[in-house]
Amino acid sequence: MSTAAGRTKHAEAILGPELHTRLSLTKVLVVGAGGIGCELLKTLVLTGFTQITLLDLDTIDLSNLNRQFLFRTKDVKKPKSITAARAASSFNPNVKIDPIFGNIKDEEYDIDWFKGFGVVLNALDNLDARRHVNRMCMAAGVPLVESGTAGYLGQVQPLVKDATECFDCIPKPTPKSFPVCTIRSTPSQPIHCIVWSKSYLMGQLFGRDEDAGETSELDEAENNGENVEEIANLRKEAQSFSRVRAAIRSYSPNSTSTADQNNDPAKLAFQKIFSADIQNLLNMGDMWKHREPPVPLDYDQIISGTSILDRQGSSKAKEERNRINGASSLNGTGNKKTAEKVVMKDQRKLTLKENLMLFNTSVQSLSMRLSTSQVQTIEFDKDDEDTLDFVTAASNLRSAAYGIEGKSKWEVKEMAGNIIPAIATTNAIIAGLIVLQALNLLRASPSARPSPSEPVNAATATPSSSSTVASSASADYSLLRNVHIQLKPSVPLSSVTCSSPNPNCGVCRDVYTLVRCDRTQTTLRDVVQGVLGWTSRQSQNREGANENGQSQNGNRNENENGSNDDDDKVNEGSERKEISVYEDKRILVDPDWDDNLDRTLDSLNVGRGKFISIVDEEGDWETVQVVIGELPASHPSTASPYILPCPLPKLVKRKKIKPLVPSVPSTPPPRLSLKRSLPTDADDGDVMIIDGHNGNGRTRDGDGEGQRALKKPRLGAYDSQRDAKTTTPTMDLTSPNKRKRLEEDGLVLMDGPGEVDEFEEDVIVIDDD
Amino acid sequence: MNDSQPIETATTSIQMPSGAPDAKTRRYDRQLRLWAASGQAALESARILVIPATATTTSILKNLVLPGLGHFTLMDDKVVNGADAGNNFFLDGFKSIGKFRAQEAVNGLMEMNDGVEGVADVRNIQEVLETDKGWLKTFDVVVAHNVDSVILDDLAALLWPDTYLVVVNSAGFLADFSIHYREHQVIESHAETSPSLRIDQAFPALLQYAMSLPLDTMDITDHAHIPYPVILVRALEEWRREREQGASIRLLLSGPSSGRGVPRTTAERKAFKERIRAMMRKFDEENFEEAEAQAFKCWTPTVIPSEVRELFNLHLSSTSSSTTFSSLVSALSQFSQNNPASPQYTSGLLPLTPSLPDMKSSTEEYVKLQKLFRAQSDKEKQVFKEYLSRAQVDVNDATIDQFLKNSHALKVLKGREWKEINPGAKELLAGKLSTHTKETATHLALAAIRKLRAKSVIPSLEHVSSPNDTAMTDILDKDKLKDLLTAEAKSFLPPGVELPEAEWPVASGEVARAPSADLPTTAAFLGGLVAQEVIKMITKQYIPISAGNAASAANDQLGICVVDLVETWTGIL
Repeated sequence: MSTAAGRTKHAEAILGPELHTRLSLTKVLVVGAGGIGCELLKTLVLTGFTQITLLDLDTIDLSNLNRQFLFRTKDVKKPKSITAARAASSFNPNVKIDPIFGNIKDEEYDIDWFKGFGVVLNALDNLDARRHVNRMCMAAGVPLVESGTAGYLGQVQPLVKDATECFDCIPKPTPKSFPVCTIRSTPSQPIHCIVWSKSYLMGQLFGRDEDAGETSELDEAENNGENVEEIANLRKEAQSFSRVRAAIRSYSPNSTSTADQNNDPAKLAFQKIFSADIQNLLNMGDMWKHREPPVPLDYDQIISGTSILDRQGSSKAKEERNRINGASSLNGTGNKKTAEKVVMKDQRKLTLKENLMLFNTSVQSLSMRLSTSQVQTIEFDKDDEDTLDFVTAASNLRSAAYGIEGKSKWEVKEMAGNIIPAIATTNAIIAGLIVLQALNLLRASPSARPSPSEPVNAATATPSSSSTVASSASADYSLLRNVHIQLKPSVPLSSVTCSSPNPNCGVCRDVYTLVRCDRTQTTLRDVVQGVLGWTSRQSQNREGANENGQSQNGNRNENENGSNDDDDKVNEGSERKEISVYEDKRILVDPDWDDNLDRTLDSLNVGRGKFISIVDEEGDWETVQVVIGELPASHPSTASPYILPCPLPKLVKRKKIKPLVPSVPSTPPPRLSLKRSLPTDADDGDVMIIDGHNGNGRTRDGDGEGQRALKKPRLGAYDSQRDAKTTTPTMDLTSPNKRKRLEEDGLVLMDGPGEVDEFEEDVIVIDDD
Repeated sequence: MNDSQPIETATTSIQMPSGAPDAKTRRYDRQLRLWAASGQAALESARILVIPATATTTSILKNLVLPGLGHFTLMDDKVVNGADAGNNFFLDGFKSIGKFRAQEAVNGLMEMNDGVEGVADVRNIQEVLETDKGWLKTFDVVVAHNVDSVILDDLAALLWPDTYLVVVNSAGFLADFSIHYREHQVIESHAETSPSLRIDQAFPALLQYAMSLPLDTMDITDHAHIPYPVILVRALEEWRREREQGASIRLLLSGPSSGRGVPRTTAERKAFKERIRAMMRKFDEENFEEAEAQAFKCWTPTVIPSEVRELFNLHLSSTSSSTTFSSLVSALSQFSQNNPASPQYTSGLLPLTPSLPDMKSSTEEYVKLQKLFRAQSDKEKQVFKEYLSRAQVDVNDATIDQFLKNSHALKVLKGREWKEINPGAKELLAGKLSTHTKETATHLALAAIRKLRAKSVIPSLEHVSSPNDTAMTDILDKDKLKDLLTAEAKSFLPPGVELPEAEWPVASGEVARAPSADLPTTAAFLGGLVAQEVIKMITKQYIPISAGNAASAANDQLGICVVDLVETWTGIL
């Protein structure tokens, strides 16, 4: 302690010896080692926390260095977590920072793992991971401090199950989404062309052979009553990509023969996309009756500078064409007195010809990468210059064809990459506030012992009994604050006391419990009826469970310590109710269809760390979420293949609250569907919505088509491709209302075309990468 | 990778767009999206002095070095002790103990960005104040954290009014800070308001164009593409004629209206919207729907924002208009009184901005409207330049354009001198105590501890080896210190004014508990907040938080930002 004596003097003096001692006993998980994470790590170490786990899946990019101060130029491309941990550890050798280069959503980071922490601090940059960590913390009963920054704005929010709101208590704004036909046939804004280049064209040219997904998306659209002719056309368009794809994959830059030049992937792609496809679209006369038709681009004319795009267009288009046809206005800076006006070179808008040249060079570089290396596919990455060039050029060329304003590379990067401005100052403020809230959490529960040194055993599997700072019933959370940094000069910081949980929250109002099991031996029935305390009757009635019946009872005895009989009876006494069982968005059981009950979890593809949701069809109970855990290593192989929680979770009566939206019978409870209506991947800022109506609202005409669309709720298949992929092949699709539910799961419901415009409005997602 | 390339080279060399942007642009990408190349250039040419090398000041510096500050000097004549090593991340841990704090901290800070110039100065600030005054005045910004009152008073007097002085005081979870300058001008305030389209006071060419359209007979497609400003101007003029002349304007018997009056009552406004709806020839003409939605622009009067008006008063009263900014303001003021380019509405307008928002329209119609706006805007710019030329100051076109573009959102802030707010006039503080109780209590507690040090009742920071030296707690116990603080605070207030019963014990207790402990969380928070304000000062963009309006010379805003991280709030006094 000789030299170390002075080290903690400040913190000790101010926190008091008791709280200060607890800092070093509290295990802290920091999720994210980016802008906030770096600041947070520094402040944690200085404050006196000594057991820190730091997880991040990312590597360092040059654009991080303006704020992620633990990184240097030499660290670019290295893992953030490891680099940050090393830099911060060198400050104080007594601090143990455990870096993890991984994804927080990986199954190994399960409930047990989360329970090993006294507090979790989020320093994340996307909605999906935030919601995941929130759910895990709610399930594990570990307090969480959530945070985010965007430019000068920022937010910190402490979240404690049952004491405060959780992250999902307030629905988060959904990312922008556009009707498929707007993207594919009738763009009217720069963003439509950018989304088209990034999400559609990139995939068609450089992605996997997406025929399957493509077909299903269009099938969906057709089923939803979209323009049949248009769909057929789009289908044809998609199929004819094969020749271009082949040229790309056999590209060789050095060949000079005419045959090879005719096979230039850039020119082939250009002629298909910007000439032939647009020509095809023009043949659909109806589409252009009330809409400005696009103009096919002519490769040779653009190269020779003789292209004249002169026609009516939408707002600004003509001026845009005039500009784009001429030399870029900034080309002439030499003779203009604009010395004071500094313009970044990426911020310059390109001329039509420059866009074409950029298209050529980027297609060629990307083709090179596909034809010469092991890479099979290339996806858009805002930090991958080739892909950014490609998206910039392709979207600007498309914009030119449609008479839409072009965008500079700088702007395209921001729009396509969902870039959010970020600076060191805001992150520093937020990191200070996160640690303050973490201290308040620790202070709130003086009696709680610090985080357990090992994962909790099965006997304490009920989350609310785990020993975290949240567990003390007498905890005083009055010091907790939701804090926002705002732009108001007179009130830079707004802080409000934390709200109570939203009684309709589909995450933190659920009852969480843990079942450890061998998934190859344990059936869904074992889990569901075991957890609900329906086992005794079930084992008499059902054959399938007989073999488990004996060991199951033994297992119960093993866990019961005599004091839990009452709890058990609560559930036993409650009458059996009609239930449905879900795994995430998949429905496994409903009252009319219980074939899956006797299948093993493994065969149902329910893996470690997955949640099985038991939903009361009548809505009297809160949903029970069963987390599937691993059997402890010490579990004898002869014993039951699963360990039920002891005591069994208490079923909680749902508070009757008038639902805002009347729930539709035979669909999952409103909360479940509310929860699911949120797209799950914030990074896909450009969800495509299948739209029953052509276009963008501007062209609504009196022919009645739009009127019909207005009345019919439109089903937008959020990511139908992905759902198709993740749906396990073992699933039985014969249940009558099952398909319907599957469709509704993950679908985005929109009431009418009027809402499209709202969807297109900017959504602020507070992020920091 | 060369990160230290000057911004001009990085930004003005226009090449073929392919290839990666330079390292510097990529490094600063995320912040350039906030303050653009002009802000970055200002930051990179700024020089700042920071005294001394505490956890808080190094946190501030970290947040200025990362975005690429030009130069900083860190002045501190102390050597590192154990407590410093424990709470200052930018020292080299225990290895730094016994070495100069300034030098060790500069070494740590410089690792983050080799494009920044950082200098350690191990002289004593008091000596420098005596021997090197001129040099101290060469900085753009000086930041002083927990500097003893006596030295601070001298420093503040020396720097006023030309150098921005940032004074930061902290004790445990409490802090306050203030920025001292005479005047701070913000042209690019990044305000969210957009300039007026002058629907209620249409310029002649726009009015004429709007009235010339044969609404009933023109091509139906064209009709559906008339931009909404044109529709609104037309509808308002018809409404005015009808009201003034009682005649049916459709018969075109009447002459132009007086150009005054707008729908005021709810009923009138509702009727006005119906009038717009009635102008539709097809049920779903979106441009008319848009016009209806934007109808409020007819009865939102085009006025000069009050802050800009007050700015005129301020600059008119000051006789010297030698700077570029005051010449621009003066010309703007003259323009607002007489704008011959808009004969019907000669006063009360700012020069028209040529930019139009996006709207439902055909390209042709949009371009037509844009040309009208541009032509009028050019005319008015000429008027403005005419006024400006009388000031005989050479201002280039780019500056004029930028000024006119932002003229509706100009900000001029007036600061106060340090001695004015240390701690502040008695009556003023008494008033603040009733309106901003907890902020004032915290401010008084921090001012009181400074005073106690200045009086040598407790050791001055200059003479203790660390900010939380045990020597101090040995001399005074907490309760005694609280009593002393109370006595000092009372002396700041008029006789008979009591300290607040609830708030004062909390604030004084916290200060007494840790008279100047430099807590990492507070340092991190202040580091962000103060650096943010420094960047606003340097870039002259965005509105600083401790904003006092220059125009209201009588305003009682002290311009102190108070921070309480026990309860997590900030406030402005």
